[in-house]
Amino acid sequence: MWGIFLESVVIFKNYMGFHENGYLAGIYLFVLLYLWLTEKDKRKRAVFVYAPTLLLLMFFCPLFRKIFVRLLEDSETYYRLLWLLQMSIVSAYGLIKLCGRHRRIGLVVICVAIIACGNYVYDSEHITKAENAYHLPQEAIDIVDLIEPEEGRITVLVPADLIYYVRQYSTNIELPYGREMLIARWDYHHAMYEAMEKADVIETETFAELARQYPCAYVILKVDRETDKPLTECGYALYDRVGDYLIYKDLETDDAI
Amino acid sequence: MIQVFGLLLWLVIIPIGIGLIPVHFLSTDKRRPGIVLLAGYFGMWAVFEVVAIPAVIFVKYNNFTIASNCFTVLAILCAAAGVWLAYRDRREWKLPSPLALVREMSWAERIEWLLFFALIAFQLYKAAAYASFDGDDAYYVVESLIAQQADVMYKILPYTGRPTDLDVRHVLAVFPMWVAYVAVKSDIHATIVSHLVMPMVLIPLTYLVYYEVGKLLFGKSAEKNHRENLPVFMIVMAMFQIFGNVSIYTNETFFLTRTWQGKAVAGSLVIPALFWMFLLIYDGTKKKRADIGMWIIFVCINMTAGVCSSIAVFLACILMAVTAFCLAVTERDYKVIIKMAAVCIPNVVYMMIYVIMGYSYLLK
Repeated sequence: MWGIFLESVVIFKNYMGFHENGYLAGIYLFVLLYLWLTEKDKRKRAVFVYAPTLLLLMFFCPLFRKIFVRLLEDSETYYRLLWLLQMSIVSAYGLIKLCGRHRRIGLVVICVAIIACGNYVYDSEHITKAENAYHLPQEAIDIVDLIEPEEGRITVLVPADLIYYVRQYSTNIELPYGREMLIARWDYHHAMYEAMEKADVIETETFAELARQYPCAYVILKVDRETDKPLTECGYALYDRVGDYLIYKDLETDDAI
Repeated sequence: MIQVFGLLLWLVIIPIGIGLIPVHFLSTDKRRPGIVLLAGYFGMWAVFEVVAIPAVIFVKYNNFTIASNCFTVLAILCAAAGVWLAYRDRREWKLPSPLALVREMSWAERIEWLLFFALIAFQLYKAAAYASFDGDDAYYVVESLIAQQADVMYKILPYTGRPTDLDVRHVLAVFPMWVAYVAVKSDIHATIVSHLVMPMVLIPLTYLVYYEVGKLLFGKSAEKNHRENLPVFMIVMAMFQIFGNVSIYTNETFFLTRTWQGKAVAGSLVIPALFWMFLLIYDGTKKKRADIGMWIIFVCINMTAGVCSSIAVFLACILMAVTAFCLAVTERDYKVIIKMAAVCIPNVVYMMIYVIMGYSYLLK
């Protein structure tokens, strides 16, 4: 039980971003304490003080966590229980109440505190200037436009950095493996993935043999991806180049189709 | 042009029409355009859930078209019924004039509202001009696209395109199918609808919920000073969203980086909407008619939780149970527990389906 409690503490700290000097949780806990001491309205007290406190206690309760995880068969989403606290609503209400009549100066102080304790969401490395209305990398779109059949579906082998995007643009492109291979903790094994991504140098013969099992009509490789011999010597033709990617067409699969 | 009309019809006109039904059962002082729109969205999602889940489970081929056609008929009927109800009691409506509201405000209030709208505009600009990468899009966005391009709901593995069995964890959360529905009706690629159109709808809608929460917290008091806190509350809420990225797990992060995903909608729209309802329960008149409308919206919000994510249903139940207990103790109103339990009936049905589907292999 103690171990489960400590795990909950770690989840709480990770959620609150303590390890990255995010202290918005500090504001929230301060406001919660302030509301405990000052809130007179019974209804607001129930919703903004008692319920969040109970939820926090439940979050840290090992027995509750065991039941939650057993019911949902998923321990990775336990942090979402903290969504129920709605920290921003409670904090905003408490801070404005704290400022009382000093509304304008209070607003400035609150905003400065939020900026100091929080983290600007648009600084995220995952947010980049959109290249098109799809919000997908233009290279992924250009590649699919080149290879997508007019009718039916084809299987295509793509490098890891395109896996997320290709099928967001067209579901006529099938993949031998998908995003599940890129999540290390899911611990999947796939021979094609091993041959494509894990090998330092692609062993072309084995690689081509594996790719034809699906069969992959096209193989897309990054320009700098090393192979022990060129794919063109194993029945592939260089079809086109898009940015940093080379598109190889499998002539044998093409014949079969 | 057809695209714009499709979006207007399914994202504005139909939700407003549907929202007029529960609002008809609210007291006149609560009949505001914002509440109509919110009630309409929650009502529309609830109708979509009722149609889409049986189609996912029981229909083998072209299940998306079948669900779409049924939903189209039901949604149009509901919207028409809402308009008819609103027309019938049109004399009871007292819509405030926006100009009169602005005239009542002090200059400081006006500037604060402008500042708040600038913050929303900034978030909308970022959502449109910047792409936010999230690995889960390879599942949810592709599910929407499969429904649009292949007319199939949850029977193709989005990652690869191979056929798959129904995955109980995802199939009951039909939010991506609603996105696909909007995409089909507006004739826009589902990925564009997800990444571009949805934030333009869901971000303002979320702030509308915060506005209603703020109105209950600050707007009712006769004290001018008290009412002036509303724009301050909205600015602070916007600041919390923009700077709430203290980790990848917070609902604020989900709100602005994966706005279009059901779980983000659950964290940022559905759960705050439950807070709105908790505050609304003891607000205003005690007339029976007023109560019914609120409880209808409450049920629809709970059903929307199921549309968004299976886990959100469990979370909503936990929040409802804890808050009902606290309200019962503080207000000395133990009936509220029974009422809230009744509101959770759709969640219980949802969980039963979840359990039956999840453990049906034991019966084979």
